Amino acid sequence: MDAKEMIKIDNLNKSFGDLHVLKNINMTVYDSDVVCLVGASGSGKSTLLRCLNFLEKKDSGKIIIGEREIIPGTHNLNKVRQKVGMVFQHFNLFPHKTVLENIIEAPTMVKKIPKDQAIAEAKVLLSKVGLEDKANVYPSKLSGGQKQRVAIARALAMEPDIMLFDEPTSALDPELVGEVLTTMKELAEEGMTMVVVTHEMGFAKEVADWIVYMNEGKIVELGKPEEFFNHPKEERTKEFLRTTMLK
Amino acid sequence: MPSLAHFLHILAETKGLFLNALLLTLKLTVVSILIGIVIGLFFALLKISKFKIAGFISDTYVYLVRGTPLIVQIFILYFGLSGIFLLPDFWAASLALALHNGAYIAEIFRGTIQSVDKGQMEAGRSLGMTKALTLRRIILPQAFRRALPPLGNQFIIGLKDSSLAAFISMNELFNVATTLGSNNFDEMTYLLIVAVYYLVLVALMTFVVSRIEKSLAVSDR
Repeated sequence: MDAKEMIKIDNLNKSFGDLHVLKNINMTVYDSDVVCLVGASGSGKSTLLRCLNFLEKKDSGKIIIGEREIIPGTHNLNKVRQKVGMVFQHFNLFPHKTVLENIIEAPTMVKKIPKDQAIAEAKVLLSKVGLEDKANVYPSKLSGGQKQRVAIARALAMEPDIMLFDEPTSALDPELVGEVLTTMKELAEEGMTMVVVTHEMGFAKEVADWIVYMNEGKIVELGKPEEFFNHPKEERTKEFLRTTMLK
Repeated sequence: MPSLAHFLHILAETKGLFLNALLLTLKLTVVSILIGIVIGLFFALLKISKFKIAGFISDTYVYLVRGTPLIVQIFILYFGLSGIFLLPDFWAASLALALHNGAYIAEIFRGTIQSVDKGQMEAGRSLGMTKALTLRRIILPQAFRRALPPLGNQFIIGLKDSSLAAFISMNELFNVATTLGSNNFDEMTYLLIVAVYYLVLVALMTFVVSRIEKSLAVSDR
């Protein structure tokens, strides 16, 4: 591969008490790749994602972001996180701030970008996610789909190299899922490196470069979408696809 | 019971005397609440800190203050400490009230800070904000807003508790009322008058707090 390695995970382990949620995870994400993590609830995919921006502390193994292994306590995680955007299942917008204030918060407070410039950039991002008319609205006045698109714009405002999505459409009404997936698809087409935990198999099939199927804390199968969906190798993958595709 | 006419007559006649007392009561209340908010926030932050010793210090403070009567605390600051240094009566009363209110306000803030969804902290951290910055910019503003109704309640208690400053001879509302009442052999009238003053102050305070609540409620979900 000549593409640049953006994330490399080497023998990652993580337990919550007695529960071993991630077992010897090895994975590499290359520049501009879209990787979809799929699997049943409790398979460890969200925990894996959260380990990638250190919201969850690994027990052992290596996480390399860009060229460096990131060691909490040694490296400034705040600097790392500026380069790794995250979108949450429940949006986590700041309810006491308007849409615009949500987006400019980190650029102005962390990167110290002048407010005028941050606002101008935020407006570009808002029009990109189709919400330029909502700049001065509070999150409580938005639909779930709009909230999630604002959350995406907020993460993009830090100009990350990598975007992590933790079940971004799971909390949405079915009719609002499409608008968020469209925004994500556009982002993928622009070449953003993305790791997406999702139950949306249609999106995974269409947009992902790689599908990673996890079960009980292990990566069971990793493949290109056409192989993964049409010719899965592992018995457990076939079983998973049978049950999820039946819906 | 005094007649209404008598009550109104005395009320009008003594308003000059009570005005100074009212101002002193207000000063005691406002100063002690402001300092109490700072103390309360400080101990609330200690309590939620990841350092066990900080939590222990906060718990101890709250226990000591809540576990002893306010009048004892005022007397300790005014009479008890007088051998070491003499606090002016205003500051003895204000600080005792502030330390006292601070313990209750600490518990209010701790509760509302912890009631903010933990996703808010995660969102801030995921954007590269430090814990302190996220706390200051994201968590505390939301916690303050939620703290307002119980804070308003605490302010009312603080206002009425300021009457205990009478016992270190401060000429606040209650002291003036009891002094005038016994001098004129007319306790009931003066006690009713001072009750009216407190009721008006509490009504004003309730109004101000509810205005602040409304002005901050623009974004409520």
